[in-house]
Amino acid sequence: MRESWALIRAAWVTAASYRMGMFISLFGLVFVLLPLYFIANALQPTMAHTIAGEAHQYFGFVVLGAVCFSLASICTTALPSAIGGAIGNGTLEAILGTPARLRSICIGLMGYGVLWATLRAVILLTVAIWLGAAVMWRGVPLALGVMALTMLIYTGFGLLLAAIVMLFRTSGPLATVLLTGSMFLGGVYYPTSVIPSFLRDLAAFFPLTYGLRALRQIMLRGDSFHHVAHDVQILALMTTISLSVGTLMFCLALQRARRAGTLSSY
Amino acid sequence: MTLPAGIDAPSAGRPDPRRWRAEALRTISVSLRGITKSYAVRRGWRDAARHPFSAPRNIVIDTLDLDVFESEMFGILGLNGAGKTTLLKMLATFILPDSGSASVAGHDIINNPRAVRAQLAMVTADERSLNWRLSADENMLLFAGLHGINGEQARRLTGQILAKVGLESGGNKIVGAFSSGMRQRLLLARALLSNPRILLLDEPTRSLDPVAAHDFRGLLRNLADEGGVTILLATHNPDEAFAYCDRVVVLHRGGIAALGRASELAARFGRERYRVWTQNREHPAFVALARRGLVEELTPVADLDGGHALECTIPGGEAQAAEVLRRLVESHVVVARFERVSLPLSSLIARIAETHLAAAERGRAHA
Repeated sequence: MRESWALIRAAWVTAASYRMGMFISLFGLVFVLLPLYFIANALQPTMAHTIAGEAHQYFGFVVLGAVCFSLASICTTALPSAIGGAIGNGTLEAILGTPARLRSICIGLMGYGVLWATLRAVILLTVAIWLGAAVMWRGVPLALGVMALTMLIYTGFGLLLAAIVMLFRTSGPLATVLLTGSMFLGGVYYPTSVIPSFLRDLAAFFPLTYGLRALRQIMLRGDSFHHVAHDVQILALMTTISLSVGTLMFCLALQRARRAGTLSSY
Repeated sequence: MTLPAGIDAPSAGRPDPRRWRAEALRTISVSLRGITKSYAVRRGWRDAARHPFSAPRNIVIDTLDLDVFESEMFGILGLNGAGKTTLLKMLATFILPDSGSASVAGHDIINNPRAVRAQLAMVTADERSLNWRLSADENMLLFAGLHGINGEQARRLTGQILAKVGLESGGNKIVGAFSSGMRQRLLLARALLSNPRILLLDEPTRSLDPVAAHDFRGLLRNLADEGGVTILLATHNPDEAFAYCDRVVVLHRGGIAALGRASELAARFGRERYRVWTQNREHPAFVALARRGLVEELTPVADLDGGHALECTIPGGEAQAAEVLRRLVESHVVVARFERVSLPLSSLIARIAETHLAAAERGRAHA
């Protein structure tokens, strides 16, 4: 893991050299949270019945949705954008020229983005709790497990997108389709139960549907593992498939780039 | 195993009493057997649509067999597109060969690339591979980490190596503010971090001023002589090829056009080129000598230092050169100076390439 930390550290030092960017990234959370707080409170009477299966309070419901979605987004986009950036600025070949394991390099390249997004998520949740979001603390360990599974699934998607970037220098609209689909069909701002039935079948393909539902039931309703076991099983299956396919495709793409001699071409 | 062609042990002209170097020059460090690499030729949309699975390929390296010995400074010469960079990148495991095998420090580049990467480092003239937003120290620490060196050891190594390449005072400066020469030195420093047994360098002195380039070459020579590092150096620079490399290979169309000591190649392929300083460049004696075949390729040289000169090729070595001078004097040509000039590397490579091409065509015609 030394190799991963070296890359994460370098990314941190680089990011820290853009002080204004860092300040805006943290200060901008205010502009995410405050509108959510006021709108959620205003909609609480009308949404209470709709979200009853997953939460009692709409503010907590929507904050958890936003946090989970932001983490899923970063897991999807961090590696492809890091690989694309490294190809563009010419560092990829130099990094791959070291004896570091490919796994460590991938973790290192996406690590800073994920850690920074996690820090932002923790700050967002802390302020949300301070503003009155009701959280069941005993569910935190299980919730972390569910969150980890959800993030791993999207990391698998990220590996797949990174493979496409390695081959074609762009992932096209795939990331947008995946993330927009997850946002609108995965239940970020409303439960999937309100989605029209013909779209609900489509929602079943998005991991966020299961991840968010399980997270909310654990964190906002205090449900036990027994209640979310089915969702967790589906998440575990999706994690296995997503990471296996993503890893395989990434390795094949790297092999193809080495064969074509295009590792450093941009 | 015998010594490689063109190598005396220890190498002549440089006092090197160490016996281990002679021993090292008997140990193969880099070995290529039948290595071939081709790239698909980029086609237009229409052609690609008509024949999607029959893309023509351009052969860059063609069944290459080559051995480079431990502690050897080995030059790779050739015209642009001869396959120099592709060869180095294959050894660095950035590019996979189509066929053949190669080993670096005993490790196969296809089956064991991680072990190969642990043994070698590549320095390109591509400054983009540095992180420009980080300081020199941070760039070094990043790559130290990628080589599994962390903490105090990484910092100590960073300081030592930056001092070795003359960047001790620039450690805190961001690379974006560096000059090209400083970046080049940082690239070398980065490569030295892992204490590699083999260094691959692709035109490393391209952005350096003459003094820095001289120091840089001296540093490389020292790494080979004292550190036992095998150095493969792709270059267009005659100084590097003639004065610093133990042997050179001239690549042409992916194959070996010539291999040996640079001075030997110059003697074998260069033929003797002479410069005659005279006020009588138009004297009929020159034309007469050319008609008799004693001199070839007579070329007036732009006036140098206020004098007038002619350059010519005199085949047949020093005896024939003496004969030419005698005849000029007998013809009352006032010769102020008569000197042998070294053939420029570009002309030497072009001549070797021509010879290689002609030999290949003769072989084809014979077949």
